[in-house]
Amino acid sequence: MNANNDGAQEHDAQADEQLRWQLRGLRRDLEPQADLWPGIAARIAQAPQQAAASGNARTRRFAPWAMAASVLLAVGVVWQLMPAAPQQAPVGNPMVRQQAVSMALDYERAFARLEQADTHPELHGAFGELDRSAAQILSAIDNDPNATFLLEQLRRTYARRLQLTQRAVMT
Amino acid sequence: MLTAAMTDAMTDTTTAEVAAATDAALARSAAAGDAGAFESIYRRHAGRVHGVIVRLVGAHGVRAEDLTQEAFVRAWQALPKFRFESAVSTWLHRLAVTTALMELRSRRGGPRFDEDEDALDGLGVADSAGNGTALSMDLERAVATLPPRARAVLVLHDVEGWKHEEIASELGMAVGSSKAQLHRARQLLRGRLGGEA
Repeated sequence: MNANNDGAQEHDAQADEQLRWQLRGLRRDLEPQADLWPGIAARIAQAPQQAAASGNARTRRFAPWAMAASVLLAVGVVWQLMPAAPQQAPVGNPMVRQQAVSMALDYERAFARLEQADTHPELHGAFGELDRSAAQILSAIDNDPNATFLLEQLRRTYARRLQLTQRAVMT
Repeated sequence: MLTAAMTDAMTDTTTAEVAAATDAALARSAAAGDAGAFESIYRRHAGRVHGVIVRLVGAHGVRAEDLTQEAFVRAWQALPKFRFESAVSTWLHRLAVTTALMELRSRRGGPRFDEDEDALDGLGVADSAGNGTALSMDLERAVATLPPRARAVLVLHDVEGWKHEEIASELGMAVGSSKAQLHRARQLLRGRLGGEA
């Protein structure tokens, strides 16, 4: 009797495992049959975005100067320590992508820390333009990992974005 | 050989990281009101968001597309509060799941989302008795015909890889209930597939 139960349980466990493998195969992207963007664009034109959560008063009062200085120092040190990208990277060399990612992550962390404080809405247009440029450069690096010149372009874009963010925080 | 494999692995990793960094830059721009950047986010993630919504509601077509549109509108509205503590793709995926589940809860007609346990029982008995019409169903269609709550637990756990704790929290149920639902959903599914799985 017990042997029968054990056998049935084992069979169930095996069947579950097999089913799980098959189910995992269902995890795939499915493009909508219609282009939904026109409808989304029409709706978001009418839909206000939620106000960004602002930092607490203590952060606003004391943190911006210290944060701005430490972030500038941190990003500067990281990029002085990083080896320069080779002028002619071999085909398929992933170093350009790696450096782009490291740079993006460093700056993202810097932005996140700085933006705990309030920033000026009048600079949002400039922020948007620089963020869009950064995204385009990252896409270009993704498509052409040998384009070392794009790393410098990305660095300049992020440096400008950081400079503006610092200015917004300090004024 | 080993070097080539390591390079491939590194390239795969960095490709994903470049994608994540690109998403973050686009999201930052969209959070400041840039609809063009948000369109790029839509183009990059529509397939993933729509895929999970189709699996959760068990239907292609207009209803799933409406929910996909709704998920992106919600994302647009919520972006200024996004703190970049997780990847944009992860945040969007979660938002898509929440949007689909809210719709399932609010549906009228058929078994209610919170009360489909009886329906699950009934269907289970019918299938274990051998329902000839169900034998030829493929896996995707069989999942789509599960009762809503059972389908949600099965899809989130076995397809999307969520843990029971996360599912229980999202669905507002006990962890034990999530496990029980999963067990019964698998049984039902095996019955519908005619014991092939």
